[in-house]
Amino acid sequence: MTAALGRSLVLLALLASTLGAVVGGATAVRRSAAGWTLTRRFAYLFAAAMLAANALMVWALLARDFSVSYVAQVGSRAVPNWVAFVSLWSSLEGSILFWGLVIGGYVGVATWANRDKHPEYMPWAVAVWLACGAFFSFLLAGPAQPFASVSPVPPDGPGPNPLLQNHLLMVVHPPFLYLGYVGMTIPFGLASAALLTGRLGHDFLRPLRTWLMLPWTFLTVAIVLGGWWAYEVLGWGGYWAWDPVENASFLPWLTATAALHSAVLTERKGVLKGWTVTLVLATFLLTILGTFMTRSGVFNSVHSFTQSAIGPTILVFLVLALVWSVALLALRIDRLEADGAIEPVLSRDALFLVNNLLFVLFTFTVLLGTVFPLLVEATRGVQMSVGRPYFDRMAVPLGVALLLLMGVGPALPWGRATPAQLKQALVPPLAGAAIAAGIAALVGVRQPWTLVALAFGGYTAQVTLRELWLPLARRRAHGEQLGRALAATAWGSGRRRFGSYVVHAGAVIVIVAIAVSSTMGQSREAQLRVGEKTEVGAYTLTFLGIDQLREPHRDAVVARVGVSRGGRDLGVLSPRMNQYERQREPVGTPAVRSSLFEDLYLSVMNIDPANGTLGLLALVNPMVGWIWGATALMALGSLVALVPVRVGTRP
Amino acid sequence: MTPPLGPLRRAAGLALAAVFLVAAHAPAQEPAGPADPSRVVGPPRGHAPTAEALDARTDEVAGLLRCPVCQGLSVADSPATMAVNMKAQVKELLAEGYDEDQILAYFERSYGEFVRLQPPLRGVNWLVWLAPLAALAFGAWAVKRALGARRASGTEPASPPPGPDTLPEDPKLARYVLRVRELAYGWGGGRSPASTD
Amino acid sequence: MSKGAAEANQPSPLNRRVLLVGLAVVAPLVAVLFMNLGRNPHAIGSPLVGRAAPDFALRPMGGGEPVTLASLRGRPAVLNFWATWCVPCFEEHPLLVRAARSLGDRVQFVGVIYEDSEEQVRGFLARQGEAYPSLVDPGSRAAIAYGIFGVPETYFLDAEGRIAAKHVGPLDAASLAAKLRLVGLQP
Repeated sequence: MTAALGRSLVLLALLASTLGAVVGGATAVRRSAAGWTLTRRFAYLFAAAMLAANALMVWALLARDFSVSYVAQVGSRAVPNWVAFVSLWSSLEGSILFWGLVIGGYVGVATWANRDKHPEYMPWAVAVWLACGAFFSFLLAGPAQPFASVSPVPPDGPGPNPLLQNHLLMVVHPPFLYLGYVGMTIPFGLASAALLTGRLGHDFLRPLRTWLMLPWTFLTVAIVLGGWWAYEVLGWGGYWAWDPVENASFLPWLTATAALHSAVLTERKGVLKGWTVTLVLATFLLTILGTFMTRSGVFNSVHSFTQSAIGPTILVFLVLALVWSVALLALRIDRLEADGAIEPVLSRDALFLVNNLLFVLFTFTVLLGTVFPLLVEATRGVQMSVGRPYFDRMAVPLGVALLLLMGVGPALPWGRATPAQLKQALVPPLAGAAIAAGIAALVGVRQPWTLVALAFGGYTAQVTLRELWLPLARRRAHGEQLGRALAATAWGSGRRRFGSYVVHAGAVIVIVAIAVSSTMGQSREAQLRVGEKTEVGAYTLTFLGIDQLREPHRDAVVARVGVSRGGRDLGVLSPRMNQYERQREPVGTPAVRSSLFEDLYLSVMNIDPANGTLGLLALVNPMVGWIWGATALMALGSLVALVPVRVGTRP
Repeated sequence: MTPPLGPLRRAAGLALAAVFLVAAHAPAQEPAGPADPSRVVGPPRGHAPTAEALDARTDEVAGLLRCPVCQGLSVADSPATMAVNMKAQVKELLAEGYDEDQILAYFERSYGEFVRLQPPLRGVNWLVWLAPLAALAFGAWAVKRALGARRASGTEPASPPPGPDTLPEDPKLARYVLRVRELAYGWGGGRSPASTD
Repeated sequence: MSKGAAEANQPSPLNRRVLLVGLAVVAPLVAVLFMNLGRNPHAIGSPLVGRAAPDFALRPMGGGEPVTLASLRGRPAVLNFWATWCVPCFEEHPLLVRAARSLGDRVQFVGVIYEDSEEQVRGFLARQGEAYPSLVDPGSRAAIAYGIFGVPETYFLDAEGRIAAKHVGPLDAASLAAKLRLVGLQP
């Protein structure tokens, strides 16, 4: 019964999105007000159907209605209700249903927000959104049916993936990822609309930028949440392994970041319209490629789902979207003529181009490295790997160059500048670079790349702080108090600029923290008996004993490790191994003690309660916590910049 | 993040490794001992690192090997038992004086090229190293052209870039905007004191 | 900034450069993805097949002379890497025991214990039956030399000590018979 109702809702979503896409396209060609109203209604109906289908699935999961195939597959009477709730996105079919919810939400809200704006573009945009929605509805109606009926109804199910139950971060990470990934459909529709109408006016750049920046913010947070989850759960002490699935989330982030910057130049100078649109299209295509990578089972990755008919279906959609994008660009890019020109000198304009070059190069390299094993397999029939050493070697120079560019670009004035102006802009931040490099050398940083990263970080930090301070200083010069000035800047007409520099400040910290944490850590592996000690960095670790716990849906073997530093007792850390019901392999959970500058990270490699032995991996990871904090700063800055500036205060 | 090995040295290493791999094709003779690596990759060709440097060197070499049971993680990173065992063997081989190429070749014989996280420079693999450089060259050329195109056309900017100081064309609206700016920001006459934004 | 509606509705020329660059990026990508559809990325071929088997000298459980590669020569051998904690190993165990009992004079069956305790293995064999030696592999040296990705994995060695075949995952009667034919065993 529930299953049949769910299937009807999915079919309703399929119907609404297909009809809406057709009516929207016709409206765009024929320009009819009635058609536009109808298109919007189909968009709202699609959103409502997806919402209802998801609500029904959540209800079925909570009610443990095992007559629904997805519930039979991931549900369990043994798990608590919150786990049952989040199982919605824990497995392949449910995650696509959840994808439907997110795309429905985005399409509904974006349609409503632009219901009486940009009449020449919007019917095209909504038509493209609904076409994408129709594809995912089709996926849900056919290859990825989560609402199949199960007969006879099983008494219980196996429960979701234990990794999902192992840490709260795995609960929040997927929704952010979907909000980032799926949200790229909206700028894709807007960019397609610009190409279809053959125009990209100044007024239409604003929604394009806003609807790009919103999912970009979610994606930024999602990528870092994924890294944080890996750090807190996988137990190897790192947060990024250049796994194909991680790369899949990073690729669209790179092109979206490039597009956000190129859009600034388009907005300011009226140039690079075709290029900005290309980057937006590429971002969407990379999200679909990423979806294929995670869901086809073709890539060798820990995170990916197993193979099914869903993979080929997504590949077909990817091919359609690629053909659509390339054809549209080839046919229409020449219509998007430049209204201005870039200054051909050392100027901020020119460095925006360098920024785009580096981001696109980064994208190309990561994509190449990710897909290359498939190419070799297909041509030579040999399995090979492209892993972390390759990506690190490629990413480090690119990341460091971007870090410097983030300082040099904003330091330079727009347009032409005299040599004296250039000197005045570029020389003072060298002080910041010298200070950062000096401090680094003093605390014992010897890695050349780390030193370079810190020096560039110092340079860029000085420029960024100056740019953040300038508007405040202006207001203070007129007698405003600092707090008021800050509030007025962050909420006033300059907030977009202010927010962008807050994002930059966060990015500087993230890059520096990555450089430091990946090169300055210390580690120790020790095989201990109860009572034995080992040392890592300045910490002394004492293996105090083993506890065995029974929890509702899992058993745990917990190692108690006493931590002290310089004779001062810092308490007990408890890394553990969890054994879930119905899951064979135990899942480790490391214990992390964070302080301002470093984390002490303990992970169980092996543990034997009978003999009282523990194989312990102990790491001191400097500055890792700064990555999480600085990402929050980036998200905050992005939100400040995202709130649309009232029309009239700024053209 | 070790500095790249000289291509010559690497090529020589590969050639040698190839010779030994061919040698390994010969029918098995009496075993010199359990799983003797020198029968696979020849006698040690490097110098054993000092005791202090051994751990760091072990991590470097183990970082180039893919943990076969974990997919994606390196032997240096993975806490899995298999990775710990492989790492112990890397350490032993280093202490016996085998160099990096020999150690990678030793594991490659068992696991295939799959075990090397960093694609060795051979055959089609050159593409994964050179294509990004080619892309960089192409991109730099494209940027230079985009900047040069403007110079060639020779026209000067007709209008200042739209910025905070740009005013609406309607004079009434412009006066209003200037007044609002003066009130809101305290800018004299509504004009920004610095227009660099 | 914007062009007239009349102009916007005219067909615009095809930008061949954009088309070519787009196809140059997209076509190889799509081709590679299509070629890899249906492939199992976790099935990794062994480079050892067709080569001399790596040496080993491992102590059998329960004592006795170390079993070496040389001691297996003269007869085909089946080298089964397994563990008690592995469910597929449990599934294939009866088949291997039966085969070892019926073919024991013509084929040497050997188990190599992978990441497991002797105590566990003893209990397992007492319950499930034992027909051939199980070797202890400290530090997984033999497993690494044979390129083991997981258990069960089984190597088939011919009488000259050359690896003729590798089987990944649990064996069934048909695949066992087929692989044994490869090492020269006529049914």
